[in-house]
Amino acid sequence: MMSTLSAVTATEVESLRVSQPEVFNSPRKMIRKWGPWALALGYLIWSMWFFDFVRLLDGSDRVWSLLRAFFIWEDMANWQYANIYVGIAQTLAMAFLGTLLGSLGALVIGFFAARNIITFTPLRQLVRRILDVLRGVDQLIWGLVFVRAVGLGPLAGVLAIFISDLGTLSKLYSEAIENIDRKQVEGIKATGAGPFALVRFGYIPQVLPVFISQSLYFLESNTRSATILGIVGAGGVGMIIIERFRATLYDQVAFVILNILILIAIIDYLSKKIRQRVIGRNEIR
Amino acid sequence: MVDISVNSPASSSRERNAVTLFEQHRSDLIRQRRAMTIFGIAAFLVCLGLSIWVSRFYPSRLAEGVPRILEYFVTITPDLNWSVLFEAKNEAGRAVPGSFAYWYTDFWTYLELIFETILMAITGTIIGGTLAFLLSFAASDNLAPNQTIYFLARRFMEICRGIPEILLALVFVFMIGIGPLAGILAVAIHTTGALGKLFAEVNENASDKPVEGITAVGGNWFERMAYGVVPQVTPNFVSYLLLRFEINVRASSIIGFVGAGGIGQELNRVISFYSDDRVLAVLILVVATVTVIDLISERLRLGFIGKENFQ
Repeated sequence: MMSTLSAVTATEVESLRVSQPEVFNSPRKMIRKWGPWALALGYLIWSMWFFDFVRLLDGSDRVWSLLRAFFIWEDMANWQYANIYVGIAQTLAMAFLGTLLGSLGALVIGFFAARNIITFTPLRQLVRRILDVLRGVDQLIWGLVFVRAVGLGPLAGVLAIFISDLGTLSKLYSEAIENIDRKQVEGIKATGAGPFALVRFGYIPQVLPVFISQSLYFLESNTRSATILGIVGAGGVGMIIIERFRATLYDQVAFVILNILILIAIIDYLSKKIRQRVIGRNEIR
Repeated sequence: MVDISVNSPASSSRERNAVTLFEQHRSDLIRQRRAMTIFGIAAFLVCLGLSIWVSRFYPSRLAEGVPRILEYFVTITPDLNWSVLFEAKNEAGRAVPGSFAYWYTDFWTYLELIFETILMAITGTIIGGTLAFLLSFAASDNLAPNQTIYFLARRFMEICRGIPEILLALVFVFMIGIGPLAGILAVAIHTTGALGKLFAEVNENASDKPVEGITAVGGNWFERMAYGVVPQVTPNFVSYLLLRFEINVRASSIIGFVGAGGIGQELNRVISFYSDDRVLAVLILVVATVTVIDLISERLRLGFIGKENFQ
């Protein structure tokens, strides 16, 4: 039936609706199209009520006074710069020691979690599950736990970084070990080497570049996380931030945060340079 | 080129010359390499020494600390007794020591807080995701209306993701008071920065043919984005959004350490004031929640991308 659009009769529309239902808007189609949006919007409005978003309007003068305190720096001559920069140095030291210990630990445990080294499945599974737990608990929670166990200060921070890195790095190391070339190992074995020489000359040369690149990457990310570990009392510059906050020295807080942002940018840049230098040719892996 | 197979006296001196040159060069290289290695080791040792000194990470302190850690882990382990393990609360409403009911006395409080944590993550992800979505078009170099807007959008997102979430939460707690609202704002701002960058990268990889098509029929910038770009990038956006949601659940569970709501607040309270089995009870719930959310979200994400690939 050839007819222009204006000449379509109601009966023709009806018959088309029956034969070609998918061309027409149906309530179901409308629901499928707009339902998720309506749901999201409804949820958002409900959650704004649930979480009391109107409080944003109440506290407005408080917000402004705080923001002003952030940006107007007073009495800069009497700020304890030495204190602040010792905190920053401590943060770097925590990240360095934590990553180093974590890498050394992972060097050993990584082998125990690798399928091609430990063929005794229950032991490997046990090691892997323990690593899952170390990784599953957030670094900040480890920080809080260690502050409780060994007291305030950088020791707790180092231990927190060490434990959470041990979990993650061991997993990454074990994956690197599982992906190596068997031929080199077989060659060493054929010369009658013992287990120690086998690891030293068969495995280490193949996996070391990967290990180093991963550890450097973690050093970078740990410097970031070490800055906030202090918020729970685990040493470093985070402790200085929270102290200054409690003493309502907001201008100094802003100064320290600015320093942290610059520090993180420098660390990112340096770590990229070192990574390129140390493992430049293995970057593809 | 020196032909070393020829053994004539004429070429002999030249050959020796070449050999000594080579040997000299080689020993130079070896010396250089050795110097670099020694320098590297020295730099490493200096770093190590400084780090140990600055953070007072002395063996004596460690030897003192490690037994305390082990002791602490013993104190947070619950005293479960097999014979009464599944015993419910008795008539007086008291649980028997050694039973699960005793260990998890505050179970419903924890569950409520975990519910709150998840809601915080969802709301933060929705708000942050919406802002990231709106900003991402201005922040991708092939779509930005002009260079100034591109530059501003990029820098804004960098600042948003540069400041750690928990630091933002701390600031908001001081601004608007203790409670989940501060946490949501912190999560939302961080999400805006992190997702905006990923979204912008997706936009930059989108094909510009549909955009040209919309331009050709006279669409303005908003129409070009809405009908030319959005249909291409939606699957990737959704997958990144879900991934971010997983990360935000983790973040929301610790953000309470500074008083910004969620289970973190309870975790902080329990760890700081008590050292008993409650610590482990909350920790287990937190890890379980994060793991379950990860699994669900991963399923959804794979399902979504997989479906898109087959279309």
